[in-house]
Amino acid sequence: MSRRWITALLALVAALMAVPLVYIVSLSVRSRDDVLNGGLLPSTLFWRNWPDTFGSIDLPRHLANSWIVAAGGAALTLVIAVPAAYYTARARRGGERLLSLVLASYCAPPVVAVLPLFYLLRTAGLGNTLTGLALVTGLANVPVAVWLLDGFVRRVPREVEEAAWLDGLGSWGALRHVVVPLAAPGIVASGLICFFLGYNELLFALSFAQETSVQTLPVALSRFQGDRNIQFGQQAVASIVGVAPVYVLALLAQRRLVAGLSAGAVK
Amino acid sequence: MADSAIGRPAVRWGALRRHRARRWSGVSPWQAAPVTLALLVFTAYPLVYLVALALTESTLAQPLREWVGTDNFRAALENDVFTGSLWRSTVFAVLAASVQLVAGTALALALHARGRRLGLLGGFLLLPLVTPPVMVGVAWKLLLAPVGGALNGALGLAGLAPVNPLGDERGAFLALVVIDTWQWTPFVALLVYAALLGVPGELREAALLDGAGRLRLLVSVVLPYVRPALLAVLLLRLVGGFKVFDIVYVVTAGGPGAATNTSTYEIQRTALESFKVGTAAAETLLFSLVVGAVATLVAAVRRRAVRAER
Repeated sequence: MSRRWITALLALVAALMAVPLVYIVSLSVRSRDDVLNGGLLPSTLFWRNWPDTFGSIDLPRHLANSWIVAAGGAALTLVIAVPAAYYTARARRGGERLLSLVLASYCAPPVVAVLPLFYLLRTAGLGNTLTGLALVTGLANVPVAVWLLDGFVRRVPREVEEAAWLDGLGSWGALRHVVVPLAAPGIVASGLICFFLGYNELLFALSFAQETSVQTLPVALSRFQGDRNIQFGQQAVASIVGVAPVYVLALLAQRRLVAGLSAGAVK
Repeated sequence: MADSAIGRPAVRWGALRRHRARRWSGVSPWQAAPVTLALLVFTAYPLVYLVALALTESTLAQPLREWVGTDNFRAALENDVFTGSLWRSTVFAVLAASVQLVAGTALALALHARGRRLGLLGGFLLLPLVTPPVMVGVAWKLLLAPVGGALNGALGLAGLAPVNPLGDERGAFLALVVIDTWQWTPFVALLVYAALLGVPGELREAALLDGAGRLRLLVSVVLPYVRPALLAVLLLRLVGGFKVFDIVYVVTAGGPGAATNTSTYEIQRTALESFKVGTAAAETLLFSLVVGAVATLVAAVRRRAVRAER
C-alpha cells in the first residue's frame, strides 16, 4: 500500500471515531425539537441547554465527587503499587510469583467484589461515602498499576541502585531516592491512567455511592436516562463538562501516556 | 532512557557488587506487604465471603442469616436469564476481543507503515480510552435512537428506510459489540504499535534479502515476532469484555428481552436491585469459574508462545 492510501485510510478511521463525539457537541446546542427532526448538525444554535443542565442536576457537585474519588483512588493505588512493582521487578523468584498473582487477580471480574465490599464498607461506616468509594477504586486499580510500573522499574539501571546501597541506603531509601526519581515519568503515566480509570468507573460507584450527594459524574449521567422525556441536550452538556478536563489532561500528557501503555505491553 | 542520564557506572562497583551481592538482595519483603494486603481485601476476602453468602440466606441489611446449603446455586442455575447471561457474556467477550484485535492490529500496521512517530494521532487515539464508557453509551444511544437519532437522520437524507438496531435482539447485541469496539480498538492499536516498534530491523532486512514479499514478511516474520504481545492484548480485552457493564446499563438495560443481559449486569441487578443476595453470590461464583476457564486457556496459549520464542 502506498503512503497516500494509508493516510487516507487513517483519516477515514479518525473521522469515524470522531462521529459520536461530534454528535454529542452538536446535541448540546440543539433544542429537543431540533434533535427529534434528525440530522447530525444543529439547524439553529440553542444555548439554553447549558444553563438548564446546571439547573436540573448539581453538576459541580458530581464533578467534585468524581475528582475526589479518582484522585484519592489513584494516590492510594500508587502508594501500594510503587513498592510492589519494585518488589516484582527486583526480587527474582518471589517477584515473579507476586506479579503473576497480581495479574491473576486482575482477571477476576470486578462484580466479585461488589457484595463483599458492600458489607465491609457498611461495617466500617464507609457505605455511601466518597472515602469508601475512593478506597475501593484505589484497590481495584492496583493490578493495572503494578503491571505498568513493573516495566518502568526494570528499566532503572541496577548499578545506580547498588551505588545507593553502598552509600548506606536501605531498600526503602533506594526506592525513595533512586527508583522513584528515575521511574518518575512512568509513575506519572501510571497514576494518570489509574486516575482515568477511577474517573470513568461506574459499577462500584453505582453500588457503593447511591445517594445523590456522593454520586460521581458517570452515575449522574446514567441516571439522566430514567426520565420519561430524555433530555438529549442536557445529557450532552453534562457529558461535555465531565469529559473536557479529562481530555485536556490526556492531551497534555499524551507522550507519557502512550509511552506508559507501551511499557506495559512490550514485556 | 535512564542510562544516558546517569552514564555508565564506574568499573570498581562491579567488584564491590559481587562482594556484597550475597548480603544484599535489594528489596525488602515489606515492600510487598501493602499489595498483599490489597489482594487480601480485594480478592481473597471477597471470594471467601461470597462462598459464605452463597451458602446462606442474606438480606442487604443482614448478611449470613441462615444456612441454606446449595439452594442458592440451584436458584442460580434454574434462572434462565442468568445461565443465558453466561453464554452471552462469553460470546460478547470473544467476539468483541477478536474484532478489536484484528481491527487494532490493522490500524497499528497502518500507523507503523507511516513511520516511527505517532505525532498528533497518538493523542487522538487516546481520546476514546479516557472517555467514560457511560458517555460513550449515551452518545451511541442517541446516535441510534429510532426517532431523532443521527443514524436514521442520515439514512433518511439518503432516501433509505429507518432502522432500529436497539429494538432488535441481534441488533442490540451487535450494537454493544460495535460500541465496545469503538472504545477499545485504539487501545489495542497503541499496544500493538508499541510491539511492532520492537521488531528488530535486521530481521526484516534478512527476510527481504531472502526475497520475501511484503505479505510474506508480515505473516512469517512480523506477526510471529509480536505474537506474545498480541495474545497478551487479547487476554486483556477478553477480561475487559467479561467485565462489560456500563454500556449495557446505559444503552440497552439488558434488553430487548434478555438479549444483552450480560452476567455482570444481571448479577449487579440481582444483588442490589432485587436484593437476592444469596443467589447473586452463587451467580458471581459461577461466573468467575467461566471467566477463569477462558482466561486460563488464553494465558496457557500465550505462555506457550512466549516459550516457543525463547
